[in-house]
Amino acid sequence: VNVAIKRGTFPLPDVEDPLTAPFFAGAARGELLLPRCDACGRYVWYPAEQCPTCAGTSFTWTAVSGRGSLFSWAVVQRAFLPAFADQVPFVTALIAIDEDPAVRIVSYVVDVAADALVADMPVTVSFRPLAFPTVPDHSVIVPMFFPSLSS
Amino acid sequence: VNDWGNASELRDIHGEVAIAGIGETEYTKASGRTAREIGAEAVERAIADAGLEPADIDGITWSGAFADFDAAAFHEHFGTSHDLWTSPWGGGMAWAATAPYLAAQPIREKQARHVVNVFPVAWATQRSSMTGGPGEVHAAQSLKQNLEVPFGWFPQPVYFATIMRRHMIEFGTTPEQFGAVALACRRHANLHAGAVMHGRPMSLDDYLSSPILADPLRLFDSCLISDGGAAYVTTSLERARDLLHPPVVVAGVGEGFSASGTHWAQQAAFTSTPQVFSAPGAFAMAGIEPGDVDVLTVYDPFTVVSLMQIEDMGFCPKGDAGAFVEGTTLHHDGGRLPFNTHGGLLSHAYVLGIAHVVECVKQLRGTAPAQVPNCEVAVYGGYTGHMASTLVLTKDR
Repeated sequence: VNVAIKRGTFPLPDVEDPLTAPFFAGAARGELLLPRCDACGRYVWYPAEQCPTCAGTSFTWTAVSGRGSLFSWAVVQRAFLPAFADQVPFVTALIAIDEDPAVRIVSYVVDVAADALVADMPVTVSFRPLAFPTVPDHSVIVPMFFPSLSS
Repeated sequence: VNDWGNASELRDIHGEVAIAGIGETEYTKASGRTAREIGAEAVERAIADAGLEPADIDGITWSGAFADFDAAAFHEHFGTSHDLWTSPWGGGMAWAATAPYLAAQPIREKQARHVVNVFPVAWATQRSSMTGGPGEVHAAQSLKQNLEVPFGWFPQPVYFATIMRRHMIEFGTTPEQFGAVALACRRHANLHAGAVMHGRPMSLDDYLSSPILADPLRLFDSCLISDGGAAYVTTSLERARDLLHPPVVVAGVGEGFSASGTHWAQQAAFTSTPQVFSAPGAFAMAGIEPGDVDVLTVYDPFTVVSLMQIEDMGFCPKGDAGAFVEGTTLHHDGGRLPFNTHGGLLSHAYVLGIAHVVECVKQLRGTAPAQVPNCEVAVYGGYTGHMASTLVLTKDR
């Protein structure tokens, strides 16, 4: 689905987009929710109208543990959009979730220095407000990830 | 196990058609020109190169996603009104490789004799008005806009920084090895007066000290943003033999897809490209092995995409491209695999692959600025994320 980039809250997510609204509604309640196919039980990420495995069309947004591993990451130094000018450098990453490592959530890795990151290290979700100086008076609670504390 | 995608079933067209004419505009930074003007000029030159007239062209293919120069533009530009066989599934990127396959059908069925494929772009001129430059078309996709952009995973340099890092994690690839790709492209651009980066040599130190955009990705791992375009005319091999230049034979075509959808973040084979599925079919159709390839051009938006395609097309084992490209391997004069001999998207121009095909044609004609001696087999590897394509061109023997 292509949409014009004229939404005033860009680059905050559009929490009302029906395809992804439950993800952000869950985050606001402190839950990491992913759509699971009712027919075959697989997590379907990104959300889709149809399950790519079994063609099922019915999904249940299901809470997962919020634990995963750091699949890969970039330390962004150049602000490609004005909204990120005050934020660089920052770590944006792909988090493979424990329930199905083929599912990767794109998010920030926080509370750790970039040079302390290690491939496949365990990480845990933390729900935090995301805001940009270019979008005053708006914020959205989103999942971010921090290195899991060793037990 | 390569169960993460598939090859398209293509008819064997080995030897049916040939490329008989090529046309290029100037390749520049912001020119103030429109993509439509650029496309018109490229097509005009391709027709003239083949020794044809606009009225002889009875088919045209372009990219539906960037429909800057289509059939209506053709007629308007040339003042013609004859019937044209058309398809919006040509143009650049992966489709720069498969456009001759598209053209083979109407040529075989006598619906067309001379089919022109064109791809122009004016992103250097348009850049300042685009959100995130060429990232704009990505930011306009709602899933990326909600699940990637807010998290700073945008635009393309960030995707490919993440892919580079995983390639480094899995295979031990080093910055110097990525740099070897950038250096080879710049070396070739410096032999090519038409390349945007001509006259600007690059050393390994220059590469390593270029600004980091998104660690581990440097500025010099990244393609240019350019204005320019090219076109080529496909006809039957028999007809091509009557035209101005020796025919460049379409010997093999392949196309492969990932089954993981179109998003880079969710590719099951994160450090591979669908060349795994595309190249074997093209090589089989052409009756060649990777070792028979005299020059390779691949769609190279970032250095890691070159390394991945070199691996996935079978020029070295998976994961070994870093070591493979070190030294002189990619050089046009004596390298084991002469590579992007015009300078590629990194140092020639970012015209999305169409100039790569033109370069293959020049190499086979023996007219390339950085000419590979005795070049008989030239291959273009197209890449568009979840899709890859392969075009094998040969001399007429």
